[in-house]
Amino acid sequence: MFFDKFTDVVPSFFGTLNQGPLTLTIFLHTIIVLPMFWIYFSEKKKLGK
Amino acid sequence: MLINIKSNHLTNAGQRIGLMYFRVAIILFAAQLLMGLIAATQFVYPSFLYGIFDFSVARMVHINALVVWMLYAMIGSVYYMLTDETGEETAMAGLGKLAFWVLTLAIAVVVLVYIFVQIGPAKESTIWLINEGREYIEAPRWADIGIVVVVLIFYANVFFTYLKGRKTGIMTVMVANLLALAGLYLAGMFFTDNISMDQYWWWWVIHLWVEATWEVFVGTLAAYALVKFIGAKREIVEMWLWIEVLMLFGSGILGLGHHYFWIGTPEYWWEIGALFSALEPVPLVAMFVHVLYDWAKEQGENGEKSVIGNGPGMAWIVTNAFGNFLGAGIWGFFHTLPQVNIYTHGTQFTSAHGHLAFFGAYATILIGMMYMGVQGAYGVKRMKATFNSKMAIVLITFGVLGMTVALTIAGYEQVLVERAELGGGWQAFFTAQNLPWYVQAQLWRLIMGLVTFVGFVYLLLDLLTIGKKAKAAEA
Amino acid sequence: MAKENLSVWTSISFWRRSAAWVTGFATILLIWLTFDTMGQISMGTDADLQKGITKRVPAPTVINYHIDYKMSEKRGHEVPVIGKKEPFFGKEWSPKEAAALLHLGKLGSQAKNCMNCHTLLGNGAYYAPDLTKAWLDPMWGATMQGMTGKSTKEEAMAEFLMHPEKYPTHARMMPNLGITAEEAKGLVAFLKHMSSIDTNGFPRGFSKTVDQFKAGGTNAH
Repeated sequence: MFFDKFTDVVPSFFGTLNQGPLTLTIFLHTIIVLPMFWIYFSEKKKLGK
Repeated sequence: MLINIKSNHLTNAGQRIGLMYFRVAIILFAAQLLMGLIAATQFVYPSFLYGIFDFSVARMVHINALVVWMLYAMIGSVYYMLTDETGEETAMAGLGKLAFWVLTLAIAVVVLVYIFVQIGPAKESTIWLINEGREYIEAPRWADIGIVVVVLIFYANVFFTYLKGRKTGIMTVMVANLLALAGLYLAGMFFTDNISMDQYWWWWVIHLWVEATWEVFVGTLAAYALVKFIGAKREIVEMWLWIEVLMLFGSGILGLGHHYFWIGTPEYWWEIGALFSALEPVPLVAMFVHVLYDWAKEQGENGEKSVIGNGPGMAWIVTNAFGNFLGAGIWGFFHTLPQVNIYTHGTQFTSAHGHLAFFGAYATILIGMMYMGVQGAYGVKRMKATFNSKMAIVLITFGVLGMTVALTIAGYEQVLVERAELGGGWQAFFTAQNLPWYVQAQLWRLIMGLVTFVGFVYLLLDLLTIGKKAKAAEA
Repeated sequence: MAKENLSVWTSISFWRRSAAWVTGFATILLIWLTFDTMGQISMGTDADLQKGITKRVPAPTVINYHIDYKMSEKRGHEVPVIGKKEPFFGKEWSPKEAAALLHLGKLGSQAKNCMNCHTLLGNGAYYAPDLTKAWLDPMWGATMQGMTGKSTKEEAMAEFLMHPEKYPTHARMMPNLGITAEEAKGLVAFLKHMSSIDTNGFPRGFSKTVDQFKAGGTNAH
């Protein structure tokens, strides 16, 4: 099965995200990296001026 | 003896305080190596000093001297570069000097108590006065508080000098990072009956030091050293520094998770620890590329003369680029995934990684900074490597690499026999420890430890004499 | 040339802002995760034990129960199994007494510097066996009870801790650390408590042979 049942002792927000192949860590990486796109484009605009 | 290193060419008080820290750092470095040799001997001959100076004592002083000499050399480096970077005299140099003597006295007392009192009864008084029994941060509580006060004085010095002066990128990173580095020490200063809780916060200090704030510190020092030693362009160096900060903290802060696999903490740390810490080598590759690129560029193109102002210093910075990537990056990645770590956790694998990483990532660059200090102390424009410098770097590097390979082999055998085959436990442990391949590996570790020590003797000799020689050559 | 200067990738301000964002946000995530974990690893209560509620770190009164370490189908690794009540040093310990004993033991583990030879939860030095599940080590029953002439495991452990030099098993011996009878009891309680902590299956296949591992049995006592 692709997504596993919850196996840890206590369910929690992070525990719930941690139920598939690297779902939790990919989620965390994504929310860290996504705002960098915004920083990139805002810098690009500044440089263009 | 170390007073031989004259400091009358130093132009500011910060540099003189820096040199004071360097002198104590090198003495503690010697203590670390001697204690390591005792502990390594006990692995091969367990009756050596049994009941008098047991492995636990030798090992405690070994790792404490390591941490403290590195902190000394780090504080020394910051004092040394402070005026140069900010263009201002050190804000409270007198207080800084006083703090140095207080700290040095406190450390001397702590070490003497470690060596002669060693352990105490199971009472709070032991934790306050003798040792806290928590690996790396064993220093008793009274010393903890003293360290905090002294570090506050040091930080105030750096901070107020920074406020008055030029705010370069290098100094901005330094000031912010030092605050985190100093603040983290507080996480290791309380007692709890809950061993899981104990280990959770203990790792805040240990991991967030050596895999986050210390690494950023090294990046900052390397940036400064590149500007100083080979005249690298500041804009490029500072851009790289911010990239390194981004990647080091981006991977290192949550990479803390790789210590939370097995200490009672929830399973979700497996994923967080695995992927974030797997990315930890990436900034180390970046630092490696950066240093080597600048180094090659400044070697002198089209028949121009090389512009390296400090030969041995630069050689140690380049060794740092290799060592950091190999020791912290590769040897760390070896066993960072939980699927591997469940077997390697708490074996000689960790020890192999620890030796190469502390040496490659930290010892190397701090030795480089000591050479910078010697160059400044004698006011030499160009300091070339001597025979002693070359012997030192070759023997120490070869010795540490040899120890690392030996410990890796020992660890591999331990993982397979003790852990995989026999599932840990008392008999499993000794079955693995007594197999010939493990015993041979420990013997090689001892031999390579001796090689490292001989290299250190050359290093000490060189630091004591190279400045005078270079000065004489210039005259 | 002019176009190259427009590249964001070589702009210091882009990297500085990104570094500040990533560092700040990673720190916030770590603090959030820490709060979540703190809740899960704080010690349970005596009531939890009586009701059979599983805690990652049980109450000190777990020393009144039989502890085992067994493969869990659901978790995919071994977990501590807290069983029926059993006497510890010949008696049942009240929550207050048990907490005081554990406190003495934890303090003793630091005062005697255990961690600079042994590993606890896998952290420490590598000169002596890992103590995470030491309470469950089969050596205490068969070998040490015989050598010390004690009738229970906990008494054999306490005797060994007080005079380790009298009961050597290998050339590398534990030194005499001046551990008193009270301290030894505390240390045994500390070890028993540690063996009840859910370590996500570390160490794997504790003290088993390959055949036993396949059969799903356990060597732990």
